[in-house]
Amino acid sequence: MPVPDSGAFRAEVRGWLAANLAGEFAPLTGSGGPGREHEFVQERMAWERRLGADGWIGLGWPESDGGRGLPWRHQVIFHEEYARAGAPARVGHIGEQLLGPTLLMFGTAEQRSRFLPGILAGTQLWCQGYSEPGAGSDLAAVSTRARLDGDQWHLDGQKVWTSLAQFADWCFVLARTDPVAERHHGLSYLLVPMRQPGIEIRPIVQLTGTSEFNEVFFDDARAAAGDIVGAPGDGWRVAMGTLAVERGVSTFGQQLGFQREFEAVLATARANGAIDDPDLSARIVEAWAGLQVMRYTAMATLGRPAAEVPGTEANINKLLWAPWHQRLGELAVDVAGAAATIARPGYELDHAQRLFLYTRADTIYGGSNEIQRNIIAERGLGLPREPR
Amino acid sequence: MEFTDSAEQADLRSAVRAFARRHATPELVRSAMTAPAGYDHKTWERLTTELGLTALAVPDGLGGVGAGPGEVAVAVQEFGRVLLPSPYLSSATAALVLARARAECPDAAERYLPGLADGSVTGALALDADVLADGDTINGIARNVVDGAAAGLLLVRAGDDLVAVAATDAAVEPLETLDQTRRQAAIRFDRAPAVRAGSAAPAVALHRVLLAAECAAAAEHCLDVTVDYLKMRHQFGRPIGSFQALRHRAADLAVAVSSATATARAAVWTAAMSTGADDAAAIDTGELAMLAPLAALHCSRTFLQMAGEMIQLHGGIGFTWEHEAHLYFKRAKSTQLLLGPVSGLRAEIGGAAGLLPA
Repeated sequence: MPVPDSGAFRAEVRGWLAANLAGEFAPLTGSGGPGREHEFVQERMAWERRLGADGWIGLGWPESDGGRGLPWRHQVIFHEEYARAGAPARVGHIGEQLLGPTLLMFGTAEQRSRFLPGILAGTQLWCQGYSEPGAGSDLAAVSTRARLDGDQWHLDGQKVWTSLAQFADWCFVLARTDPVAERHHGLSYLLVPMRQPGIEIRPIVQLTGTSEFNEVFFDDARAAAGDIVGAPGDGWRVAMGTLAVERGVSTFGQQLGFQREFEAVLATARANGAIDDPDLSARIVEAWAGLQVMRYTAMATLGRPAAEVPGTEANINKLLWAPWHQRLGELAVDVAGAAATIARPGYELDHAQRLFLYTRADTIYGGSNEIQRNIIAERGLGLPREPR
Repeated sequence: MEFTDSAEQADLRSAVRAFARRHATPELVRSAMTAPAGYDHKTWERLTTELGLTALAVPDGLGGVGAGPGEVAVAVQEFGRVLLPSPYLSSATAALVLARARAECPDAAERYLPGLADGSVTGALALDADVLADGDTINGIARNVVDGAAAGLLLVRAGDDLVAVAATDAAVEPLETLDQTRRQAAIRFDRAPAVRAGSAAPAVALHRVLLAAECAAAAEHCLDVTVDYLKMRHQFGRPIGSFQALRHRAADLAVAVSSATATARAAVWTAAMSTGADDAAAIDTGELAMLAPLAALHCSRTFLQMAGEMIQLHGGIGFTWEHEAHLYFKRAKSTQLLLGPVSGLRAEIGGAAGLLPA
């Protein structure tokens, strides 16, 4: 199919969202996302299927694999319009943005034809099994073991911080398959069905009082022998390969979300007079300026030819947005003032309180800021590694 | 928005960079900054004749080549990287301002642009001025006029207007400067003949955009030099760049500098679109009213942070007169101070973006 003109494409996305984010899906507007993943989960799963049915998943995937083969500019437009419409936070993003690209890079033809259609249709949800209690920033320290016995892998161990595990059909797991090899050697990337007796899921109650994340326990859980991406022992390369191609197309949608959060803070400041306070008004302008700077930085990244991207742009973007978002959370409660010290019955938090608390996670998850700095120093600036 | 050089801009950049490598070596920068005029006349002549950089901002019919802020910014950035002492930024900004106001104020444009194009006249901006117009003359003073002592043309802010004054009609007092690579003058006008050169706001905006571009490029240079030093300098038997305390600071600086580079690009692009000859491409000038102070604020702040860290990460050698770090540190702080208080820039951003009551 020819690539549509970007203006026409924007109109198409906008029109589809207006027509579909209505009726049964209207209440979903603005739901889900960080701090609110517990909202409307069943309805958001139905929304995922609606997206898939009309071809809005896998926009950048090759047409031969069921995607639409659209360039990144179009993907940016989709993310922008999606955020602008206030469409609900996706429940299928882990499959679409992490597993899908991994299979496209490293999967066999059989794996691609078996797993990609479910992601594209929004019918199969995935979760990510990387972090463990003893392997956070030091991901290569994973100790979950997998042993091949006949036609099945047997898994034992524990994963943690697993988003949406209770709703996922499948989990991609980084497990140690060679007990003798050390660190990032001897790891494998396995595809494990979530609904089986050997898996137990326990929600983690966060400091917000809500539960986005889970612990996942494997007690002789099973995966088919062929459900391994790459060769046994090649799991580290597979897991890292996906991260390296991430260029932050979704950043623009995220920034529109930030813009809406900022506007809510601004509205409060205008309503309660905080805008007249010199310190708060200075911080409001700085927050807004910071948002523009992030937008320009992300645009500069995407505007460059792929060959010139040294692969640390996603890290740079994260180091810009995560602290910015935290500052916005602090600003939100400072603008609200003492009113922000009162919670509604049942510890239900308002927008400002949730933003203030949840954004503490932003500088930790997806690679802490300290890890991001290590990567930039090493890969971006070419500074020598620390002796270990 | 475009965040990469066009093919022509890329060619221009490599030509200016090659020129700077030959004519703006650290030794030549040092000798130029202590020359009586504050810059080296021979280098200025080369820059105008060999490279034709002064003609960039001037329209075709008046001795120029009709390029715009995008091309001028390329030259400004490459000279900013090496801190070449020269009135280029001031003079090219003056030319861009006159070219932009040409339809409205043909007298000033036609009188001064040919000289600015061939470099025989240099221009300076007197935007911090207490000046009153009295018929066709002005009275008052201007402070901190960068490159004012060498200028033949002064573009002086008079209320909301800008007027062109021949330097020979003003009393110009050269000043020694904290940043020796960029001289200033204090200027007195006593019934000095003046012709209108448009309004002040676009001159302020263009000047800020070009300063932002310069700051971003100079900060990039400081980052490169500092990272090289972290790789080369050994203590405790290993390169100091392998210590996490320093690696993390370098990473934070890289993040800040890349954000400044992108913001400067956005500002230059917006300025080029809103001053271009092609009016169809002209975008909402409100965008520039917001972006010029924003880029100036962000890029000058980042440059100062970078230059300060450059001194610290070099240790003792960074504190010497011999090392170049102090030149960048002084340029960064001087630029920031000349842009006015941060609160003023913030108020402009907040007003232009509709955040604060105007």
